[in-house]
Amino acid sequence: MKNANAVTANAELPPAVPWGRIGAFLVALLALFGAYRYYQHVTSFTVGLDYFEPEFQIYWMNLLYAQLAIEAVVFCAVIGYLWMTRDRNVMSITPQEELRRHYVLLGFVVVFAVIAYLAASLYTEADAAWHQVTVRDTDFTPTHIALFYFGIPAFIIIGSAAFVYAHTRLPQFHERVSMPMALLVAGPIMIMPNLGFNEWGHTFFYAEELFAAPVHWGFVLLGWSAFAAGGFLIQIITRLISLSKLEGDTDVAEA
Amino acid sequence: MTDTNEAAEARPKARSAVTTREQQWQVYKNIDLMAIPLIVLLFAGIFSFHFALTVGDWDYWVDWRDRRWWPLVTPLSLLVLPAVFGYLLWTKLRLPLAASVALLSFALAAWVSRVMNFEIFAGFPLNMVSPSTFIGLGLILDCTLMLTRSFFVTGLFGAFFFAVLIYPINWPLMAPFRVPVEYNGTLVTVADLMGYEYVRTAIPEYVRIIEQSTLRTFGEAVTPLTAVFAGFLAILMYYFWTWVGALASRAVWIKRIF
Repeated sequence: MKNANAVTANAELPPAVPWGRIGAFLVALLALFGAYRYYQHVTSFTVGLDYFEPEFQIYWMNLLYAQLAIEAVVFCAVIGYLWMTRDRNVMSITPQEELRRHYVLLGFVVVFAVIAYLAASLYTEADAAWHQVTVRDTDFTPTHIALFYFGIPAFIIIGSAAFVYAHTRLPQFHERVSMPMALLVAGPIMIMPNLGFNEWGHTFFYAEELFAAPVHWGFVLLGWSAFAAGGFLIQIITRLISLSKLEGDTDVAEA
Repeated sequence: MTDTNEAAEARPKARSAVTTREQQWQVYKNIDLMAIPLIVLLFAGIFSFHFALTVGDWDYWVDWRDRRWWPLVTPLSLLVLPAVFGYLLWTKLRLPLAASVALLSFALAAWVSRVMNFEIFAGFPLNMVSPSTFIGLGLILDCTLMLTRSFFVTGLFGAFFFAVLIYPINWPLMAPFRVPVEYNGTLVTVADLMGYEYVRTAIPEYVRIIEQSTLRTFGEAVTPLTAVFAGFLAILMYYFWTWVGALASRAVWIKRIF
């Protein structure tokens, strides 16, 4: 892990945003979500209508098992890497290095926002359209497998990675926890237990899939956790203003 | 747990990473270049999710946009994000843009979803599932805030008209689907006919239920009455969600999770 001593090459110049890496990551991410969506489009109404058909097991359940395994590995690898390479001298990094790390954190959050859009809008409403065409069958449908076992886990992985990155590499987050960021990351995580309640409710007392039904309101509440993005942005932006202050500028109270 | 708590005050202040005005402007530009798409994408994602699960089918389908429930529930749901993020953008950045940007982001996400999901994926005709228009309502709310600089007045007038005008602002889009036609001896609308032809799993019972109650005796006054009622509720909703926005904008730190 780089620390203050390692950042010596051109310490007086402020760092650039890693646009290339962020762009490459976003292109790869969009390609992955786009390919998944294409697969969903061509197989949902052909081999994805009935959980009890052998074709469903081949084309959708095998995909589900594979993606769950991959997601678990990716989550452990990313979080493990960020933790093992944490900066143990985080309070002594240079302002330039701190600024660079803030750019990386903002890059994480941009990726988080892209996945938020894809999962919460495109993939969620695919499920709405699906349920108005097909009668509810089982917990595992092509749209549920894409949304709850691919989109939301991706959301959880990137959110958790951003959280660990911030709390292991930025002085502002050292030995304390950003409550808004914790809420922002906890929302997608808590969607999974709420999914359990939702499916249980559908098997028990509410068979229909009217999207605005009360059995779905738990998801709404967890979606509102994103309101904490405001507090989190205040924390980040006030620090960035301090990091880019010139002599004679008005002081901004860091949040 | 506090806002700018004692732990923050004990910390050394950040030293600056820049030495010239040009470098400072570059940092500001970088922040804008990352924060603006971030905010638009978050708005699009959260708004779609929130709207899908609180209004959902009442706005997905042209034949669900009835004259009593849709004009009531839709503005109340739509007001949430503009009020929450309106507090943040106005008090912290002096930008009266939250409602317009939120509703514009939502409109873009809604169009992508209706085309990708409802037309291409599920096979419904686009004119049956095209989204309503709400951007004008956001402009009303933001302009009221900009001109009055008061959340109180914005709630009283901006939020009221936000809800009242939702039906008239959408009327040009809905009018062609409200044309009466005779179908097997029964008088229905074009939208009803589309609903019969494209069978879905949860239609049309809910709309029919809405049409069964004593409010029908008001005849053609149902929609104006609903609009004014929605306006009054929208005032309260705006104040409540602005307060939630004030809570969500707090930069709270805690010492430990465990």
